[in-house]
Parts: sequence; structure tokens; C-alpha cells
Amino acid sequence: MPAMVSAAQPVQRSFNPYTENGGTILAIAGADFSVIAGDTRQSEGYSIQTRYAPKVFRLTDKAVLAVNGFAADGNMFVKKVRQRLEWYRHAHAKDMPIRAIARLIQTMLYARRFFPFYVYNILGGIEEDGTGAVYSFDLLIYFKNQTPAPGTAFPKHLPLSTVLPLVIDSFTSATERHIEVGDGLEIYIVLSKGSTALQSLQTIRGIQELTATNDGERVFVIRRELKKD
Amino acid sequence: MFLTRSEYDRGVNTFSPEGRLFQVEYAIEAIKLGSTTVGIRTPEGVVLAVEKRVQSPLLESNSIEKIMEIDTHLGCAMSGLTADARTMIDHARVTAQNHAFTYDERIKVESVTQAVCDLALRFGESVHDEEAMMSRPFGVALLIAGIDELGPQLYHTDPSGTFVRYDAKAIGSGSEAAQSELQDKWHRQMTLREAQLLTLNVLKQVMEEKLDQHNVQLAQVTPKGFEILDEASLKEVIEAM
Repeated sequence: MPAMVSAAQPVQRSFNPYTENGGTILAIAGADFSVIAGDTRQSEGYSIQTRYAPKVFRLTDKAVLAVNGFAADGNMFVKKVRQRLEWYRHAHAKDMPIRAIARLIQTMLYARRFFPFYVYNILGGIEEDGTGAVYSFDLLIYFKNQTPAPGTAFPKHLPLSTVLPLVIDSFTSATERHIEVGDGLEIYIVLSKGSTALQSLQTIRGIQELTATNDGERVFVIRRELKKD
Repeated sequence: MFLTRSEYDRGVNTFSPEGRLFQVEYAIEAIKLGSTTVGIRTPEGVVLAVEKRVQSPLLESNSIEKIMEIDTHLGCAMSGLTADARTMIDHARVTAQNHAFTYDERIKVESVTQAVCDLALRFGESVHDEEAMMSRPFGVALLIAGIDELGPQLYHTDPSGTFVRYDAKAIGSGSEAAQSELQDKWHRQMTLREAQLLTLNVLKQVMEEKLDQHNVQLAQVTPKGFEILDEASLKEVIEAM
């Protein structure tokens, strides 16, 4: 009898394949460099799952990808992008240019139009012509270098010596204000061939070079602690 | 003659005891019956020229199509069973468009050549449940011309699925004489104009009929892109010979 009563009621069921794992990523393009940074905390609601889950990944010596949103989708997405980059290298005997990576990511995201990867990507690096580039993505498509509104008084490109403190300060502030940001900070720097910004990197504590080829572009990473509370 | 091979020249994917695939070798022979086709690479671009055999005065010579566009920066000339080339060029075009769609860049000349050659060896693979897709090797050789970040390039493909890069190459019935002529006359700093004149001169020497704007076709790939020369500009080059 109780079974019949409950069967008569409408029952709504739902499928929740996604979660939000917090954190922050950012990227700034300079004239001949690009900076891509992200914190390393991974959380779900009030609990921290891990204090070290990287969100920023070196793809090639010209491109670094930062991934934010649902961490499982993010990791799988980076894995798939890397696989495509390797296939491309075997088929065409060169590293994929950043513009092509941006378009590839767009194609990969849009292919999942009706079951998207729950990830917000930012791709930073160096274009074929040696200029710094930042591509940002929503769940489906890309937008190139966001520039200030016309008529506003921002310089077109900041020097690296201004960008790095700005990035660190931004993350320190974000850590104070948001519970999902903190623990660690990873800042990737991509320099174009013969970039003069190299000098301002020399004195930085604990900087590590990740360059893999002799093409001229160079990739560095700086790691810093953020507050853990 | 055939008695010695009778067992092994039937199956398209059966090696003979001497390690040969007769059907592939016969396909390469088929190209030697085709009309002569010449390609020359220069620092300014690549030139392709073909002989069009006009068998009848009633034949509309501009309906013979032996040079085709693959993409804006890629062209292709053929010799042999030209109907087979349509399948290959269609595949090349799809590959080039897919590349542009996915990567927002032009495909490399070598990559598109590789794609065509991958197709060349798919014969005998017709075990796919449905009807046979390809029952024999392609009977056509291609000269694929193009420009990419490595500069102007010319590739030759044959029915065995092999491809090689050339500075100057001739295929088809007059290829032997044409190739030795190219070897004499080609030089590293050739201009596009010199290459146009050389291709036509080479064709002129191996053609039976007198060469004019109706029985040859000339095309080029330059930094501006692929173009088939129209009759007026072709006539102008012929007059300059």
C-alpha cells in the first residue's frame, strides 16, 4: 500500500556530473613575453582536497595552459590537448604554434557542445612573430588578448618587472579574500627569442628554467607560498 | 612471359617469391603511358606543366583537366589514369580543409603529400563489410607543388605510396628525355619566368604535335597562391619561347 502512494507522486531525478574545485588563474601578455599563473589549492566547498594540485601546465616552449573549474575535467582536458600536440609533432615535424593550439582547444571544447568540459582555460605564450599572447576561453570558444577599453589610460604592454610583483600581490590579496584561493603559487614566464626581459629574471629567488628545445623561446617557473588558512 | 608469373601477378597483396608486388609494378608502368607532366621548383615558386593529348579536332581541349587545386597554397599535376587522381585529390582537399579548420593554419606540403600516399596503399583492404572500396593500386603519379613555412616545394608520388621531394621532375611517356633535359637546364637561382619557359621547352621536345596554348596547361604556386594560367597568359609565355 505505501508503495502505491509513493509511485503516484512525481519524482524528479537529477544527474550532477560536475563540481567546482575553486582556485584562480591569470595571464598577462607583454610585448615579448607572457606570464601565466595559478594557485595550487584544490577545494570542494569548505574542505581542502589538496594543497598542491597544479593548474598551470607547460605545453611547449612557446605555450603554457592554465585550467580552472572542475579539476577532473581540467586534468583530462590537459591530457587530451597534450596527446593532440604529440600527434601533431609526429605528423608535421614541428611544435604546434600557439595560434594553432588556441584553435585546436576551441575545436576540442566545441566538440563537447552538449556535454562540455567544465573548465575555463587561459593559454599564454609567444606567437610566431615573437609577440606575447594570451588567449582566454569560455566553455566553448576562444577570445584573443583582452585589451583595455578604448580611451582608458593603461599602457599597452607592462614590463616584466612590473608584471611579476603585480601577479604576486594579486594572489596575496585574493588569498585574503577568498577561501578557495591559497596554499601555493606557480608563475610561468615565457620569453620570446632574445627577450630583454631575461635580465629582470636573473635575480629572482628560486626561479627554475623548464625550456626543452633550442628554438630560442624560454620557459621559467617561480614558486611561492601563499597563506594556508 | 606470363607463365613464370602466373601465380603472383593476380592478387594485389601477394608478394612473389622474389619479393615483388606485380600489380603495383604494373601500376607504375601505367604512368609511363600517360601524357608528359613536368614540375620545377624555384626560389620564387613552383611551376607545373602538362601535355594535353588532343586526339580529335572535335574535342574541346579546355575540358581536359590535368592540373588541379588542392588548397590556395597547393596545386597538383597528374600523369597516368587521371580518373584515379580524382579520388586522391579529393582526399588531399579534405585533409587540407580539415587541417585549416582544426588548426587555423595552412597544411604543410609534405603533410598533404603524406596524406595522399597513406591512401595509395589502401588497396586490397576491402574487407570492410560493405562493398569493395579499392580493388587495385592507383594507376596515377602526382606532382604536388606548394608553398609553406619551409618555402616552395615539389613532391612526386607514385602508386607504391612512396613520395620524394624534387627540384625538378618529369613523369609520363616522355619523362626520360624530359628528365635529362631538366637535369641539364635546371639551376638553383632560376626565376619563375625561366621555369615557365623551361617547362614548356621540355614539353615541346617530347611532344608529337606542335605545342600551342590548346595542348598544354601551365600552373604555378607562388607566395600569392595557386593559379592555372589562362589561355592569354599561356599564349604570351609560348610566344616568348
